[in-house]
Amino acid sequence: MMDEMMNNKMNEMMNKKKLNKKTIASIKAYLFLAPFLLVFSTMVIYPIGLGVKLSLYGQRGARMWYIGLQNFATVFRDSKFWESFRIPLFLLTVQVPLMLFIAVLIAFLYEKTEKRGGKFYRFIYYLPNTIPGIVTGIVWSYIFSDSMSPFRTVIDLLGYSGTKILTRQHLPSILLVIILWAFTGYTAFVIYSSLIAIPKAFSEQAQLDGATFWQIAFRIKLPLLRGVLISLFIFNAIGAIQVFNEPWMLGQLVVLPSNYTPAMYIYNSAFAQGRFTYAAAMGLILALITFLISLYVLRSATKQMLTGESH
Amino acid sequence: MKRLILIALVLILVGISAFAADYYPKYSGKPTTITMWAWTSNENYSIEEFEKVYPNIKVKWENFDVHYEKVQTALSAGSGLPDVLMVEYSFAPQFMDLGAFQPINKWLDEKTFIKLYGEAAMGWCAMDGEIYGTPQDSGAMTMFYRKDLFDQYGLIVPKTKKEFIEQARKFKKAAPHLKYMAAPIGNTMWWIGQVWEAGGKLFDYSNGKWYINFSNPVAVEVFETWGQLFDEGVFDLEMWWNPDWFNSLNEGTTAVVINGSWFAEWLRYNAPESEGKWRVAIPPQWNPAKPNNGMLGGSGFYVTSHSKNPEAAAIFVNWLNSHPASLKCLHNYSNLPIMVSSRYEEVLDEVAGPDAFFGGQNIVETLWEAHQLVNTTFVVLPIMSNVDESLSLLLQDYADGKIKRFADILPRWEKEVISTMKEFGYSNVITGKLP
Repeated sequence: MMDEMMNNKMNEMMNKKKLNKKTIASIKAYLFLAPFLLVFSTMVIYPIGLGVKLSLYGQRGARMWYIGLQNFATVFRDSKFWESFRIPLFLLTVQVPLMLFIAVLIAFLYEKTEKRGGKFYRFIYYLPNTIPGIVTGIVWSYIFSDSMSPFRTVIDLLGYSGTKILTRQHLPSILLVIILWAFTGYTAFVIYSSLIAIPKAFSEQAQLDGATFWQIAFRIKLPLLRGVLISLFIFNAIGAIQVFNEPWMLGQLVVLPSNYTPAMYIYNSAFAQGRFTYAAAMGLILALITFLISLYVLRSATKQMLTGESH
Repeated sequence: MKRLILIALVLILVGISAFAADYYPKYSGKPTTITMWAWTSNENYSIEEFEKVYPNIKVKWENFDVHYEKVQTALSAGSGLPDVLMVEYSFAPQFMDLGAFQPINKWLDEKTFIKLYGEAAMGWCAMDGEIYGTPQDSGAMTMFYRKDLFDQYGLIVPKTKKEFIEQARKFKKAAPHLKYMAAPIGNTMWWIGQVWEAGGKLFDYSNGKWYINFSNPVAVEVFETWGQLFDEGVFDLEMWWNPDWFNSLNEGTTAVVINGSWFAEWLRYNAPESEGKWRVAIPPQWNPAKPNNGMLGGSGFYVTSHSKNPEAAAIFVNWLNSHPASLKCLHNYSNLPIMVSSRYEEVLDEVAGPDAFFGGQNIVETLWEAHQLVNTTFVVLPIMSNVDESLSLLLQDYADGKIKRFADILPRWEKEVISTMKEFGYSNVITGKLP
């Protein structure tokens, strides 16, 4: 009996020691995470929580009163909010696929020119991503101005000397150009890093079988890039739905409605009209929509992967 | 006899200084520091002069440029606004209505206010008899014109609207590649100013009610006239404040700009290549028998509801915007050509003189004259950014050809403005007439 009790006690102590090791490991982990967790909780979690709380109040100046979910009901009836999704939808269906397609092509070209000066092109195509939006905004406003644009002579030669460059009809296309210029190089670079991780054995095998570079690219390597392409699509989709910087900058040059994009409408409601609680409600709904779209994309993409493709 | 004259002189001097001292009461509180948000450049000179006279009040000035987003945030948060806040006249009613300011009638009563700033200014700094601040610079509409282009094409300076239109037609024939003047797409205060110049208004506030009537005869006439001019092709609608517009001013492809008087300083610093070629004039009058003028821009200084020491703040805003010592600094260092205060007249001779940028013309004299013609006023609606947005979009639609008649813009604009007022919870709106 004594022996058993001694044994049990020994086991307990041993288990405690094991726990101690585990707890020490987790404590160490949390200590390393602590700075990030601190900043994350105060700068992200707390404001989101505050935003949720704010969205339940009506507001006028400094006065706030509880109105429950009434803000959300108003948002659902607010045609200005839903009309603002036109531009994000345009970007989502045109800009994102187009940019990914061009980026994939460029990434393959990077791989092809790896030994022959590809580095130079990787560098300069990445540069647009590093220039602050305000700076590019100023330069774009000159490029698209009617009196000083370098394209003016070309446009006039083509017979369009009467048309203005920067008009509200042309704006979506101009937005397309600006966003493509800014982010395609970066996207190509990300795809390229995944590309070079693909084992050379696959392409070598296919080469022996007589496949050309582009056949190898699209039949073998592209399917293997699925994962990174899906992630890139989701990130760019989120960026498209929440687009703000580029339209805002263009708003200095062309008259734009305050609800040109959802993010602009939210910003204007809060800071131009002082309706912070209404803006909070819209922000939450926008976040929900973004989340649902990302979820849908992820789900349908993974479904495709799981059901397998029969090539 | 000499003694009597001496005593009389002393009595008069004492009388004058006592009279002047009535404007600026003594500060009865403890030594304090007040904060101010303002984007006027070099305001520190006026502040230095002020602190000499009121050593117990120190002013801490912070410049965040145009800071309305910051103000909205601090207002909703319940704290964070400075004691003194600079707000443009067209945005002040919005902030008055949101409770951003506190009344300072105790230290600046209505009689003194009207004596120092004129009755028109009550529409920019007060609501329902509560005075919230003082006006600083005037945005009196002024006609800026290129003398060299006028001379080259044999044009005269138009004194009436009729002459203005004739001159524009003449210029268009003679120099079709140049512009007589561009009308702005957007810049709603400019369009409101056009109606103001004609002696009319679109909205107002009186006795707790907002009045909206865009279809009054003056407004309709103004918009119909502009419509005719656009149809004829004499004028074009263009975006202002973009690179193309800056370029045309610098290169000399625009002959006339009608803008607020502060534009004189803007030209000086941003169109240096056109030095010596510009002149200023009173804007052409609709009815020379009853001269009128409007304002575009200009800002007031208001005491906020977060201020813990409104007495010090009130004394400061009054001194800053009406005492000759401060007004001189505002002209010389802050580059403001004209102040609203009637006491600006006392320093007019000192600050006015030939201006090299304007070819030696004494612009301060002309601008002061233009300001004196601002003899009507109204309170702007508390939804200025929405008023601006709806007109800008309608003007863009007209420029794109989606609206056929220019005067059709008025009723559409009015409809949107009225529905926005309702949407923002204003139940005290009267439409169809003006007070």
